[in-house]
Amino acid sequence: MTAAQPATGRTGSGAPPVRDHSAKRRWVGQSIRRVEDPKFLLGRGGYIADRITPDTLHAAVLRSPHPHARIARFETAAALAAPGVHAVITGAEAAELCDPMPDFGPDPAKHTWRCLAADKVRYVGEGVAVVVADSRYLAEDALELIEVEYEPLPAITDPERALDAGSPLVHEALESNCAYERSFDFGDVERDFAEAEVVVRDRLRWHRSGGQPLETVGAIAEYDLGTGSFTIDTNTLSFTSYLFMAAATLKVPVNKLDIRPVPAGGSFGSKLFANKPAVIAGMCARKTGRKVAYLEDRADNISNCDHHGSDRVYDVELAMMRDGTMRGIKIDVIDDYGAYIQFGVGHHGNALAQVVGPYTIGSVRYRVRAALTNKNQQGAYRGFGSEVNNWMLEQMVDKAARELGLDPVAIRRMNFIRDFPHFIPTGNVYDSGDYERVLDHALDLAGYGHWRDEQRRLREQEGRYIGVGVITAQERSVFSATEFWFWFDEPGAPVTSTPESVSLKVDATGGITAILYSCAFWGNSPETMVAQLVAEEFDCSPYDVSVVYHGSRDGLPATGPGGSRTTVMLAGAVEGASAKIKEKARRAAAHLLEIGPDDLEWADGGFRVRGDPERKKALGEIAIMLHLFKHSFPEDMESGLDASKVFDHPYTTMPSADRKDLGVFYPFVGHACHVPVVEVDIETGLVTFLHYAAVHDCGTLVNPRSLAGHIVGGTAQGIGTALYEEFVYDEDGQLLSSSFMDYLIPTAMEVPELTIGHVETPSPYTPHGIKGGGEGGRMMAPAAINAAVNDALAPLGVRLTELPMTPERILAALRAAGHAG
Amino acid sequence: MAPDTRTISLTVNGQPHVAQVEPRRLLVDFLREDLGLTGTHIGCEHGVCGTCTVLLNGASIRSCITLAVQADGASIDTVEGLAQGGEMHPLQDEFSEKQGLQCGYCTPGMLMRACEILAQNPDPTAAQVREAIASNLCRCTGYQFIIEAVIAAAARMRATQEVAP
Amino acid sequence: MKPPPFAYAAPTTLEEAVGLLTQHAEAEPRVLAGGQSLIPLMNFRLAKPGYLVDLRNVAGLSGIRRDGDILVIGAMTRMSEVERSPEVAVAAPLLAEAIGLVAHAPVRNSGTVGGSLAHADPAAELPAVALALDAELVAAGPGGTRVIPAAGFFQGPYSTALAQDEILTEIRLPVWPGGHAFTEFSRVHANFAVVAVAALVELDGDSDWIRRAALALAGVAPTPVRAVSAERALAGASGDAETIRAAADAAAADLSPAGDLHASPETRRSLARTYLRRTIELAVSRARNER
Repeated sequence: MTAAQPATGRTGSGAPPVRDHSAKRRWVGQSIRRVEDPKFLLGRGGYIADRITPDTLHAAVLRSPHPHARIARFETAAALAAPGVHAVITGAEAAELCDPMPDFGPDPAKHTWRCLAADKVRYVGEGVAVVVADSRYLAEDALELIEVEYEPLPAITDPERALDAGSPLVHEALESNCAYERSFDFGDVERDFAEAEVVVRDRLRWHRSGGQPLETVGAIAEYDLGTGSFTIDTNTLSFTSYLFMAAATLKVPVNKLDIRPVPAGGSFGSKLFANKPAVIAGMCARKTGRKVAYLEDRADNISNCDHHGSDRVYDVELAMMRDGTMRGIKIDVIDDYGAYIQFGVGHHGNALAQVVGPYTIGSVRYRVRAALTNKNQQGAYRGFGSEVNNWMLEQMVDKAARELGLDPVAIRRMNFIRDFPHFIPTGNVYDSGDYERVLDHALDLAGYGHWRDEQRRLREQEGRYIGVGVITAQERSVFSATEFWFWFDEPGAPVTSTPESVSLKVDATGGITAILYSCAFWGNSPETMVAQLVAEEFDCSPYDVSVVYHGSRDGLPATGPGGSRTTVMLAGAVEGASAKIKEKARRAAAHLLEIGPDDLEWADGGFRVRGDPERKKALGEIAIMLHLFKHSFPEDMESGLDASKVFDHPYTTMPSADRKDLGVFYPFVGHACHVPVVEVDIETGLVTFLHYAAVHDCGTLVNPRSLAGHIVGGTAQGIGTALYEEFVYDEDGQLLSSSFMDYLIPTAMEVPELTIGHVETPSPYTPHGIKGGGEGGRMMAPAAINAAVNDALAPLGVRLTELPMTPERILAALRAAGHAG
Repeated sequence: MAPDTRTISLTVNGQPHVAQVEPRRLLVDFLREDLGLTGTHIGCEHGVCGTCTVLLNGASIRSCITLAVQADGASIDTVEGLAQGGEMHPLQDEFSEKQGLQCGYCTPGMLMRACEILAQNPDPTAAQVREAIASNLCRCTGYQFIIEAVIAAAARMRATQEVAP
Repeated sequence: MKPPPFAYAAPTTLEEAVGLLTQHAEAEPRVLAGGQSLIPLMNFRLAKPGYLVDLRNVAGLSGIRRDGDILVIGAMTRMSEVERSPEVAVAAPLLAEAIGLVAHAPVRNSGTVGGSLAHADPAAELPAVALALDAELVAAGPGGTRVIPAAGFFQGPYSTALAQDEILTEIRLPVWPGGHAFTEFSRVHANFAVVAVAALVELDGDSDWIRRAALALAGVAPTPVRAVSAERALAGASGDAETIRAAADAAAADLSPAGDLHASPETRRSLARTYLRRTIELAVSRARNER
């Protein structure tokens, strides 16, 4: 149930005031057409590749065919002399032109990441040189003329072997392939395990997949010799306050670097702080004195996007009582980070935000080891590591149900958290929720009883294997900066800011412009969100709001999309800026109406005198006066009507010194239940969907249709992760899934029609009670589909514990259980 | 030494063009860079994703694995030709109404493919639409609202046909 | 991923086209049909022909006609035309079914029958159809025309009996009007086949006995292969489930498929066995229903 009182609990003092969400809403909650759409529908999207001009030069990157090798010798003369070539820059030269890439990982000095490899390549596809030419065609011709002599080194690809002593070292300076190791205890783990009546154990393997949006990352850079400034247009702008790191990479002062966002054709995390193309384009622009575009092609991106997803081996123990009560959980996870570790183990912070799922599990031991291997590094992929924890936990719950002879729905229900706000053992809070309501609605939409009957009938009468998966899991939103550094007792930079800013300008006609400072459009509708929120505040039409994006250099602090934070943070920023505008407009109206400001009330797009509604001033009337008629106002009232709000994370608390309490770092937690029904063809390993119901609760929805679209899209990606998608590296470190022929993205035939339900349990702490929900589909689907497949194969004694559940893995499991294919 | 070029004549969205192109120039690059029609996008450059779909003589093709010289004498339709006289095509309008797009990157190719689908079958079932658009990947929407948009557009287009003299 | 430079010609006659292949032999020329297989390879720079001879303007290479008991299809006939053709539906329904499984409709709009056969991807559908039907492939070269039986045409992965200066002009398919089935196992819809099976059966009069069967598999060997032992097991046998299962088992036992990231050799063999069984059953069931 939603909270009606202020938050209590050990760190309750940090909670923001509980809000009243009783006001009727006019625009928030409406499934209006998106304001962004017309330009995209007309083919005028203005993506980065659309901004090439005839004078733009093109860069192409030469990539290593070896997973691990020293770079011995370069011959670039022939390439430099090739037609249309303006520059050839090797990794060694790049290391002089640029400093290492921005890196939030532990000890970046010991696993130095550069835009091009300088002395050693560490994964197939790592860039070793860049050519700049009149066209991409000519640049690629010249790439073929570059001779590189490599001295191959043994490659390490298995994350567990990587941690063994004597394994080939990815980074010699680190003296180990373990980039980070720590074990945390939250709550009384020893007691819960000592008192447990049953301990359920399992080993689980989640292989890496990735966002793979249809548009790759690209940047067009110019270096102005006159001012010493870089201007870079790119489809990634996030963590604005950290762009000083990118400026340092390019060896320019921060205030000489302007990164300007353009719409992106999808991201799903993979464009989050993806600065390498911008750095390469910038470096080339400065070297050639020309405008240079570096647009990744698909081959560049698949092997080198720096945003592969989680790649984990779990050993888990779940302490239970025989009646199904969950007591404690011990999680030992090895995560294969690849050759670099740009975001540290932040993906595990995402896991810790909701590590116990929706259940009253009282204690957690979490041991994480980050392994380095000869693969492209991890980055961000929708869920950022929390979706993996959801999957692991739901696997354990289903296994527990089976071992204890309990119904999978009943075991979940009996362990549900029911009182909110609820602090989980790690210290994070779940602000609100109603998990029973979501579960009941999902089971109803799914036709659960009907499918259980069908499952039985089809098995008995036709020997078919139908499975029903029921998973209940969390979708946290709006991360805090603390999860970057609570991993360390003595963090170098215990940062605490993750702001988002919006500026609102009311022009002389009363028209409103909203300026965003990051929140680069990725497909996540920030313009529509802002337009609806502004319309809610000012009673205008959302289609009359102009939304523009501002570059980084002279913009306000902003963090951008990630962790499903966009809508909540934009809502806070719009609310704050609107309040400032209304405050000034009220005082101005009071002057114009010759009445006290407190005698005015906002209604219907303007201020009117309380009790005398005919005496009013519309926003436009106020605005034109403020813009043009200074003398109508007192001296201390400046002309114009605009305001900005830097909205900081509204609910973050500090971790305890002993790290037994990580504080509140991801407080707005939604919840969902997915119920897929699948059939497994045990002769072929093919999995088909017979039905799929999904109910999500992400608080108040700004645009329900838009959120439903994210649920379907996220579920489609979850289907990919569960059944089809994997970056497959062989033992020798070769990337086998190096094109869309082999990296299999679900088509419309792999994704079923979803039956979607919404529950709205507002957050007590956010504007309108909004929570983030963009990642939710993918945070649920892999767990749900694995559950369904296991349910189908249970009669055969087969249980899949490795994703993706390819036909190969399903058939191998069936063979191992004695069922010949 | 200047590269070898060929002269091609083709019609694009009803406009005739004569151009000199290198034989290796991909049709998608010709449309985007030589003609400035950047509505057609590049997704994979190996013919799998369908983002680059345009119509050639009314049939959908993948312009990333078609050479510009292979379009000599042909009539090409791209997304830029869909809206007429300032009004969106019913498909475009329904994509917006049903929210059949999020990032918009696959959308032009999806729209052109949908034109072909409805030209071949003006009254498809949702299942038929789903199978037909399986040729085009979308990473954002999960396809469901795209299918709804195509079905809705089909109904409107049928109604207009019935009314038209 | 832009293709490397090449010289190019779009001749208007077959003689010209053959002449160009001979004349520019040292440039490693390739024939360009629909380009749906070749151009992706060129974009990856895995294929770098120095000369491309485009057949798009050569007259007489397209078309579908019935010539008695033979269905003749011009090599440059687009797959979409084959898919829509009423003649193909009647005379070679196996081909009609298989062609709908070749990639997606947009690829079939450009791709050609001859292009697919000459490309000889071991997992491709049309080579398996050609093999099952004992097709004849007609090639034109500097020395004239020759007819190559399908059994000798596919020589290895992406390798055929065509000389560098020969052009496939038409394919001749013996009519087999029913009792057909083509199925394939692919990881996602319309993706290349991991395993594909072409099955043709002819039943004996009104009985349930199989007079003859032709079975071809793709994806299990360096070229498409006929499942000879299964064909022998079925000829003169009953079309019952047990016989079919035994035939499929026998055929699978003959295979030594390679493995890749999608399927191990054991899985491929197992899939071949399953799909053979299901496809033969489907062909037999259709043959019965068509009587």
